[in-house]
Amino acid sequence: MKILEVIGVSKHFGSLTALQDVSFTLRRGEILGLIGPNGAGKTTLVNLIAGTTPYSAGDIHFLGKSIRGLKPHQIGRLGISRTPQIVKPITDMTTLENVMVGALFGKKGKKRTVRAARRKAEQTLELLGLAAKSNVPGESLNVQERKRLERAKALAMLPTVLLLDEVLAGLNPAEIDEGVDLIKKVRDAGVTILVVEHVMRAIANVSDRVIVLQHGEKIMEGKPEEVLNHGKVIEAYLGKRYRALAGNG
Amino acid sequence: MKKIATVLVCVAVGVFLVWCPYLVSFYWLRILTNIFMFAILAQAINIIAGYVGYPAFGNVVFFGLGAYSTGILMVKFQTTFFTSVLVGMAICVLFTLLFGVPVLRLKGHYFAIATLGLNEATRAIVDNLSGLTGGGMGLSLPLRAGDIGANARYFYFVFYGTMLLSILVTYLLSRSRFGYACRSIRSDEEAAEGMGINTTKYKTLAWMISAVLTGIAGSGYAYWMSYIEPGVVFDMTIAIKSFVMFLLGGPATVLGPIVGAFFVEAVSTLTWSHLLNYHTGTLGAIIILVVIFMPQGFISFIRQGFSFSTFVKKGKKKFSGREKRIEMA
Ligand SMILES: Nc1ncnc2c1ncn2[C@@H]1O[C@H](COP(=O)(O)OP(=O)(O)O)[C@@H](O)[C@H]1O
Ligand SMILES: [Mg+2]
Repeated sequence: MKILEVIGVSKHFGSLTALQDVSFTLRRGEILGLIGPNGAGKTTLVNLIAGTTPYSAGDIHFLGKSIRGLKPHQIGRLGISRTPQIVKPITDMTTLENVMVGALFGKKGKKRTVRAARRKAEQTLELLGLAAKSNVPGESLNVQERKRLERAKALAMLPTVLLLDEVLAGLNPAEIDEGVDLIKKVRDAGVTILVVEHVMRAIANVSDRVIVLQHGEKIMEGKPEEVLNHGKVIEAYLGKRYRALAGNG
Repeated sequence: MKKIATVLVCVAVGVFLVWCPYLVSFYWLRILTNIFMFAILAQAINIIAGYVGYPAFGNVVFFGLGAYSTGILMVKFQTTFFTSVLVGMAICVLFTLLFGVPVLRLKGHYFAIATLGLNEATRAIVDNLSGLTGGGMGLSLPLRAGDIGANARYFYFVFYGTMLLSILVTYLLSRSRFGYACRSIRSDEEAAEGMGINTTKYKTLAWMISAVLTGIAGSGYAYWMSYIEPGVVFDMTIAIKSFVMFLLGGPATVLGPIVGAFFVEAVSTLTWSHLLNYHTGTLGAIIILVVIFMPQGFISFIRQGFSFSTFVKKGKKKFSGREKRIEMA
């Protein structure tokens, strides 16, 4: 079943074309990987879906209805949450309170009391193994913990769709494996996920399907093992010379 | 344990202040009333500047609007004081609805300057509508019936009650969904929006609450003084003073601005009576010392158990008092 449908969106920043006629669908319960070299337009695409950036052409449907032109908070409340590429905890708040904000303003947030949000936040921190840090300021967490906090926040919003923008960047291999496990855990909790990553290895392990962006255009879509070994993708990442050397595609 | 102690101290002080008018002289009653008034103004600034992070320097505009609502209604329309307060509150609400969206779009000093502009513009309008406001000649309000003592106590309790209301509002706000929204906005507005927070709504609401509290203080002031003029009730020094109290006491704490108001007024009164010539200089020096040694405000200082050395040490670490503050909130 289609949850999110991106239909021919384009985005221009002045004369620069960040996205050109990009279409894809996200199906319920899957983890869709979105890869592409730096500057390919991945973050821009996430911003379009989350409503933080307006777009020049195309449309985005969520559960069959257009969400074009909605404010970010409205989209968040409908059930699409996003973790930003640069993780910044809310200042002057404890880890627990950071997650409470997610629980208070997410999809079911309106019906939640502050007390219920606190309980939800405690459960979420437990799930992500951050319970021990509940009462320290969010800003005092290290990079890895911050990324986990960010996922806890997004989870507490109980989204239908979660957009993860490079949450594994800057982690070491062991931490990446842990991150991949966490993402799968979140999916098993009933969340459909779009994972944006630069790290190929992580994408291969976590995604059910992968799409590839290059210069703002979708150049490929398919199963991870097909896509990641495809000559076009290797070329996009490493250039023509490497493709020739690898003798692939 | 600490929480219980805090509550006990607050209740004791609260009860003592109810008793006060029957114990102290009119001179002290007047000073206390004035402290309450500034405590309300500082608390109002705390709500918009402390919790939401919007430095509303021009908030004194609501003081003036409240004062002139009461003045005009009581003089020209012979309403009761109470009615005039309600109308003044409504005018402050309308003002924030009208200007909230455009002005709250600005950040930091741009916002501060915009509110200053609003204050100056409003002052000029009030100055020029002399048929209604008396213009630069000012406006004399009807004196309250009753003897001096009864009146002094009346205004004492008007401001005391309003101050308690402002504390209650801040307390409830700090623990509610609204409070979490405000603090998220202060941290990063775009991120807050991304988390499903309707930032425009909460910012405007916070400014509205701040405006209404300031407006009530303005109304009370007009009736208390029974004479107002634009230069006095739209005076920037009121704004600066309440801002200093707010900063000294501790931003985004429930009792900080109140403690700040008591401190500044007490020091101001003491230096005024003993060091007439050096009054402003002494006050300024004390404020500078406090800012240097208690960068987080009094409330954090008190919470650290008055231990000066640990405080200074901790104050150097960026987070210090905040951790405690959150625990309390
Ligand atoms: N706000 C913006 N203004 C102008 N150009 C932008 C803006 N955001 C992104 N871009 C440009 O759009 C292109 C795609 O950027 P981005 O989506 O961040 O790429 P990715 O996340 O794939 O690395 C880049 O060339 C970038 O410089
Ligand atoms: Mg990016």
